Amino acid sequence: MISIQNVSKHYGAFQVLTDCSTEVNKGEVIVVCGPSGSGKSTLIKCVNGLEPFQSGSITVDGISVGDPKTNLPKLRSRVGMVFQHFELFPHMSITDNLSIAQIKVLGRGKDEATDKGLKLLDRVGLKAHADKFPGQLSGGQQQRVAIARALAMDPICMLFDEPTSALDPEMINEVLDVMVELAQEGMTMMCVTHEMGFARKVANRIVFMDKGQIVEDDDKDSFFGNPRSERARQFLAKILTH
Amino acid sequence: MYEFDWSSIPGALPFLWEGMKVSLEITACAVLFGIAWGTLLAMARLSSIKPLAWLAASYVNLFRAIPLVMVLLWFFLIVPQVLRGVFKLDAGTDVRLASALVGFALFEAAYYSEIIRAGIQSVPKGQISAASALGMSYAQAMRLVVLPQAFRNMVPLLLTQAIVLFQDTSLVYVSALADFFGAAYKVGDRDGRLVELLLFAGAVYFVICFAASQAVRRYQKKLNAHVAH
Repeated sequence: MISIQNVSKHYGAFQVLTDCSTEVNKGEVIVVCGPSGSGKSTLIKCVNGLEPFQSGSITVDGISVGDPKTNLPKLRSRVGMVFQHFELFPHMSITDNLSIAQIKVLGRGKDEATDKGLKLLDRVGLKAHADKFPGQLSGGQQQRVAIARALAMDPICMLFDEPTSALDPEMINEVLDVMVELAQEGMTMMCVTHEMGFARKVANRIVFMDKGQIVEDDDKDSFFGNPRSERARQFLAKILTH
Repeated sequence: MYEFDWSSIPGALPFLWEGMKVSLEITACAVLFGIAWGTLLAMARLSSIKPLAWLAASYVNLFRAIPLVMVLLWFFLIVPQVLRGVFKLDAGTDVRLASALVGFALFEAAYYSEIIRAGIQSVPKGQISAASALGMSYAQAMRLVVLPQAFRNMVPLLLTQAIVLFQDTSLVYVSALADFFGAAYKVGDRDGRLVELLLFAGAVYFVICFAASQAVRRYQKKLNAHVAH
C-alpha cells in the first residue's frame, strides 16, 4: 500500500532524512517511533506530500508521491491524516468540519456528507456534540473528531502524526481506543507515536528512527523482546522505565 | 472679539447632507474595493512565485510612501482623460467622483493588504496542512479555511482603517468635489462664515468617528472574550 524507497531530505545543509526505506502492506499497522528530532514526523508527512523530499521515491497505492505529474490533492483525499494539534477548523461547527471536504473535494451532496459525518461522529462517541464548535470540546474529543473527519473521506490508509502527544494523560486512552478499534477492523495505518502499549497491542511492525535514519524495522516481538541496536535499547529503556 | 454666527447652518443642512452622502459613498467603495484588491495583493505577496510577490511588494511600498493627497491629484488629472478616452464620454460628463473613487481604492488597497497579510499569517500553518491533507487545493484551503479565520481576526483592524479612510475622504477637496468637507467649505465661503462651518464640520467628523471607534472597541472586547472561551 505504502512503499518508501531510499528517501532522503535536507533543509540546506541539514540532513533530515537519510536513505529511509520501509513498506506498509494492506491491513498492516506500522508504528514509527524514536527520539524527538529523529525525523519521524517529517517521514510521515512525506508520505502524502505535505513535505517534499529530494531523492528516493514514495508510492501510495502504486501512485508516485514525488512525481510532479501526480495529482497530489486527489491522492491526499484518499489518504487520511491525523495531526498532533488536531487542526480542526475552528470557524466551523463539528458537522461542517466533518462534511466540508466530502462536499468540496469528493463532490458529495450536502445531505449525504452530513449523514456520513454524523455516523462517524457517533462511532467515535461524540454524536451529542455535532452542533458545537471545536473550541467547545476537550483535546481528546477534538482528536476523535479529527479521526472521524479523516475517515469520512473513505481513506485507503491512515497516517497518524503523534496523535496523543498534545493531550492530557487522562484523554490519551479515549483516542487510542478509537485507533485500536480502527486497526482491528483492518485499516492500513502508519502511526508516529510513543504509545508503546498501543504498539504492543496492534502494531505489526515497529520502525525505529534516529537522526533521520531508520535504525530498525522489525516485527514487534523482536523489537520489544530483543532490539538489535544499542540506540533502540536505550530508547526503550528510557520510555519503559516507568 | 470674533462674533460667532451659526445662522447659515440650518438652511444649508440639505446641501451638507448631499456632501455627506458623497463622503460615505467614497468610503464604502474604497473599503470594499480596497479589501478585495488588498486580499489579492496580500496573497500575491505571500506567494511562492517570486516575481508576483515582488510586484505586489513594490505596489504596496510605492503607495505607502507617497502622500494620499498627491495620489488623488494625479488621479484627478489623469483618470478623467483615460475614462473619456475609453468610454467615449463627452467633455461635459463629470468624472471627478469616479477618479476619486479609483484613487482612494487603489491607495487604500495598499494599506488593507498589509492588514490582511498579517491576518493570513496569524492563522496557524497546520490549518493549511490539514486542509491539504483532506485533498483541498491551495485555492480551496485559502478560501474555505484560512481567509475566513484571517478575516474574523482582522475585523477590528479593518474597521479602524475604514474610520481613518472616512476622515481621509475630506482630501477630495483638491478635486473640488462636494463631499461633506467640501460642501461645508462652500457654504462657509458663500456666507462669509467659514470658521463656523468648519467648526461644525469638524464636530460632525468627530462624533461619527468617535462613536464608530467606540463601537469597534466594544466589538473587539466581545471577540476577545469569545476567543478566550
